[in-house]
Amino acid sequence: MNRVLAGTAAASLFFLAACGESTDDGGTDTSGYELVLADSYEPDNLNPIAGHGEDGSSKIYDGLLRLAQHDDLPVLEPALATELPEVNGDATEWTVRLRDDVTFHNGATFGADDVVATFEAILDPAYASPLTSSYDMVDRVEKVDDHTVRFHLDYPHVPFDTRLLLGIVPATALGEPAPVEESSLNTEPMGAGPYRLVEWRRGERMVLEAYEDYWGGQPEVTRLTIVSASDDNVRAQRMRSGEFDGAWLPPKLAAPFSAAADGTTVVANPSADWRGVTMPAGNPVTGDPDIRQALNLAVDREAMISTVLAGHGVPAYTLIPEVFGDYHDPDAVFGYDPERAQRLLDDAGWVQGDDGTRVKDGQRAEFTVMYFPEDTLRRDLGQAFVSDARSIGIEVTLEAVDRPEFRPRIPADAGVLGGGDFPFDPDPQVYTALHSRFADHDEANPFLNPTGFRDDAVDAALDLGRRSLDDDERVGAYREIQRRLVEDPPYVMLVFLDHTYVIRDADAWANIQPIIEPHAHGVSWGPWWNLRDWERRDGE
Amino acid sequence: MAEVRTKERTGDPGGVGFGGWFDAGRVWTRARGSRRRARLTARQRLFVGIAVLAGLVVYAVLVPIIAGLDERLVDLAAAGSAPSLEHPFGTDQAGRDLFVRTAAGLRVSLLIAGLCAVISTVLGVAVGAVAGAVGGWVDRIVMRLVDTVNAVPHLLLGIVIVALYRGSVVAIVASIALTHWAPVARLIRSEVLSLRQREFVDAAISGGASRRWVIRRHFLPAVIPQAVLAAVLLLPHAVWHESALSFLGLGLPPHRASLGTLLDEARESLLLGSWWTLVFPSLMLVVATLAVAACGAAWRDHVLPRRRAEEWA
Amino acid sequence: MITRLGRDRRRAVGRMAVRRLLLAVPVLVLTSVVVFGLAAASPFDPLVGYLGDRYLTAGAAEQQQLRDTLGLDDPWYEQYLRWAGSLLSGDLGTSRSYGQPVADVLAERLPWTVLLAGTALVLAVATALMLGVWTAWRQGGVADRVVTAVAHALEGVPPFVVALAAIGIFALGLSWLPVAGLTDAGAAVSVGQVSRHLILPAGVLAVSQLPWLLLHVRQSLIAAFGEDHVVGARARGLPARTVVLRHALPTALLPFVTLVGTRLPELVTGAILVESVFSWPGVAAAVVRSAMQVDFPLLAALTLLAAVVVLLGSLLADVVYTVLDPRVAADG
Repeated sequence: MNRVLAGTAAASLFFLAACGESTDDGGTDTSGYELVLADSYEPDNLNPIAGHGEDGSSKIYDGLLRLAQHDDLPVLEPALATELPEVNGDATEWTVRLRDDVTFHNGATFGADDVVATFEAILDPAYASPLTSSYDMVDRVEKVDDHTVRFHLDYPHVPFDTRLLLGIVPATALGEPAPVEESSLNTEPMGAGPYRLVEWRRGERMVLEAYEDYWGGQPEVTRLTIVSASDDNVRAQRMRSGEFDGAWLPPKLAAPFSAAADGTTVVANPSADWRGVTMPAGNPVTGDPDIRQALNLAVDREAMISTVLAGHGVPAYTLIPEVFGDYHDPDAVFGYDPERAQRLLDDAGWVQGDDGTRVKDGQRAEFTVMYFPEDTLRRDLGQAFVSDARSIGIEVTLEAVDRPEFRPRIPADAGVLGGGDFPFDPDPQVYTALHSRFADHDEANPFLNPTGFRDDAVDAALDLGRRSLDDDERVGAYREIQRRLVEDPPYVMLVFLDHTYVIRDADAWANIQPIIEPHAHGVSWGPWWNLRDWERRDGE
Repeated sequence: MAEVRTKERTGDPGGVGFGGWFDAGRVWTRARGSRRRARLTARQRLFVGIAVLAGLVVYAVLVPIIAGLDERLVDLAAAGSAPSLEHPFGTDQAGRDLFVRTAAGLRVSLLIAGLCAVISTVLGVAVGAVAGAVGGWVDRIVMRLVDTVNAVPHLLLGIVIVALYRGSVVAIVASIALTHWAPVARLIRSEVLSLRQREFVDAAISGGASRRWVIRRHFLPAVIPQAVLAAVLLLPHAVWHESALSFLGLGLPPHRASLGTLLDEARESLLLGSWWTLVFPSLMLVVATLAVAACGAAWRDHVLPRRRAEEWA
Repeated sequence: MITRLGRDRRRAVGRMAVRRLLLAVPVLVLTSVVVFGLAAASPFDPLVGYLGDRYLTAGAAEQQQLRDTLGLDDPWYEQYLRWAGSLLSGDLGTSRSYGQPVADVLAERLPWTVLLAGTALVLAVATALMLGVWTAWRQGGVADRVVTAVAHALEGVPPFVVALAAIGIFALGLSWLPVAGLTDAGAAVSVGQVSRHLILPAGVLAVSQLPWLLLHVRQSLIAAFGEDHVVGARARGLPARTVVLRHALPTALLPFVTLVGTRLPELVTGAILVESVFSWPGVAAAVVRSAMQVDFPLLAALTLLAAVVVLLGSLLADVVYTVLDPRVAADG
């Protein structure tokens, strides 16, 4: 072996020589600080009209509102607005007053025209924005004066403020209406956020620089490089070798860093990001209420969390996680009780056959669970689900299915799905996932109500939660939904993930805060979600 | 003609491709000095190779059955255990016993590889025999086709096929089988050509022997050992290809055990410190490859010459 | 007399090269037809590749319009001719997985692959020659046995396993070398950076090619030692160095040159795996990415490129062989 590797060894001597000269001190520049972060995922575009930063996570754009953390719960605070919006009695008119001291990265002054243009572009079919359906409650956007806009809604929509996180684009940058794929904003963004794009080498890295004239003051971290490293293992290895100041890592790969003595720490942010197995109503086995109930009792959620998630997660029983505070019903849970699941199936007439699989009226208790082949977390959860189902006599076959084939099969086959795009209000978390309006399979939006769930009581509660401005009434509505979901579960919900990040030298910074994260993860979130507010501690 | 010359120069009977393992065997033999000793070691090596291979097959087939476990089932409580008496190869990150799972992976890999080897050999023999026997423009077209298949690196062409026919075992088998028949075809073609030039065949034909008799008496005995050898030598290459495709995420679905998917999963062991998830499947892959290569080389050095000698006696 | 022979010889080599290049044309055409035929026969809808996730949200009308624009309903040979036409006029199409023209993808990534594969090949050939000469001369010695045994073992180890082991040992265990990538994250592309990052992948690729080359050199040398002129030289009591370098090695080198030529496909195969494991930004890694996303224009271009490289490689090897060895007739 030594002989064969002689060349390599010689080469490494060369490296040792080269290493001495390149002890570069990245980041202690007098003009500011630099961070190099690594992400698994690179955005397709940086254009809010095309869907960028819909959840308020953009570093380049600011919205009218932005996220903040208050008493462990996410709240909205004004950003380009001067105060929180003023809402009329039935939540159909939202008036927003705008700051007058904001400029875009090109120096243009921000005003009401930009807000109107941005939202009109999303509503205008000529732009073919993918966000149009998310804003279908908006009837029109009115410019009241240069620093005031008013949104007129078609129907009452209480959580509309979460829709105001969207980044605002200068009206002049939108150009003539044309399909959004052709927009130059996709690669040359123009926002009013804390950072502006300097360089983007697709598939490699993105370099951002702090905007000197940012209305909130220029951030102390002046240069941010986001390296695209899609391979989880490679990213973890490079993090370990000291190349990055931070990275998103799946929990299992992040775990070893917590014991490392190299200045790294693991940050785990709670989220509304769920993983669960759909129980499509259209499938004779998964459509059976007893099977659904039994499976919910038979899955060992704690075991999944402690191994698959390396401890970074909380059990999920319904779509509403604990992080929603009062909206969460702590009694809406399933205990882990495989024996009870067995009894329940026995009583319901699902009789164990010779091969261990149950049968009822000639129907074998077997079905397929699909997952996306590249998603190892869903694979691991799927494998655990298969084993737990087998223990109560239900035969589940795991199948790796690519997205184009996955989507049309959603009404017939179970799948490991995830969600929780908007953890700032319970409405977006549950409305499209459960309302019978979306129960019929829609080819264009197959992930809406994927199980074909229909329940009048749930429909009524969903609509009440969306309409009512009374907090107690809303809490009651969402708790009612959770009670119904435990009685007749359309999913076998498994876990809410904690998103795990590894960060180097976190102690050097003040103002690093946790945040409740949506389904999306990556270095726009994690400890870096409020990078604009980071302050270097003295003595560094 | 240029192709034949290349072949002679490199001593690579398969032309481009899997000849390496073939050569390796011969080098090994020659290294031992005298011809007599070499023959003995060739026989010994054949035995050793076959014994190891048989051991692997027994392991791959029997262990999952004896264990009585479904290798897909996870046992989260036992996740990531180091090798012990209970789990000789340790367990993976989902708590599956790697002794059983590696056996299942080896079985899948060997099965796919065996299927591929047989298909490419049959394809190669058919194409090569036709080209050699018919000659003329058919031969020329076939040889261009052979050049074409050889011109594109096998893994690359395999990736193209798997990408276009995503996710099925059939696609994987096809992607390997369709890229590996060309060397066999070339080998069989030259065998047939040299057979046609030999006097005894001419004599037999002019002596009024029937076509069937010629085929049975001269053609098959010459071609079958070569074909068997080709199939054996293709086997490690096919195992290798399947694992490479699965490792790249283009082969078997990630939850199915094969040596490639096991190794892909084991990549995280570099950071997690669970060395056993990487070492044991790799070991199986290497041992299987080398055992088959040893058999093939020994078979050629030892069995083939003797069979031919018997033929002529 | 000698010069005239030399000129004839040169001319003959030139004729051979031209003839081989002409033969390469049908092979390349056939390659592209095969790739196109595979794509045409595949159940895969090219629109999925074109639209990505938007495939299902795009309405039927929009899909049909795209189909018409792209000519996807035309018979496959018409599509092929159109593709071949634009290829000849220098237009390779647009790669969806990289969001830029295929030509740009190649221009950006090809140099890095050439650097990686070239370094690996030089490293492998140099090591193979050194170790090959040494082991052949000391045939049967301890070093010979060890080296040959290790070489045989390495033959059975796929490059990705070698790569994982190398990362585990040199990058993570000893922290001598960077794990992956072309440069450190965020660092500019510089000679120092790239050469540090080149060592592991090039080393692994070299190791994956080494056994075949090494064993071949050794074998040809052992054979050469048995040839008359070498035996004679030894009998005349010439120093070992002279016998090996002057008499044996030249004979042994000739087939080696051809072997290196025919190993090119394996080098490409190795590069695909090594670039993937090390996130090396070359064309070989682009093969995997374009395959994952069924980015057909890029996939077709890369396949053709590989075929060109392989054909040129074997031609070059034959030319070198013919030029070096007077015994070979160039019209072969």
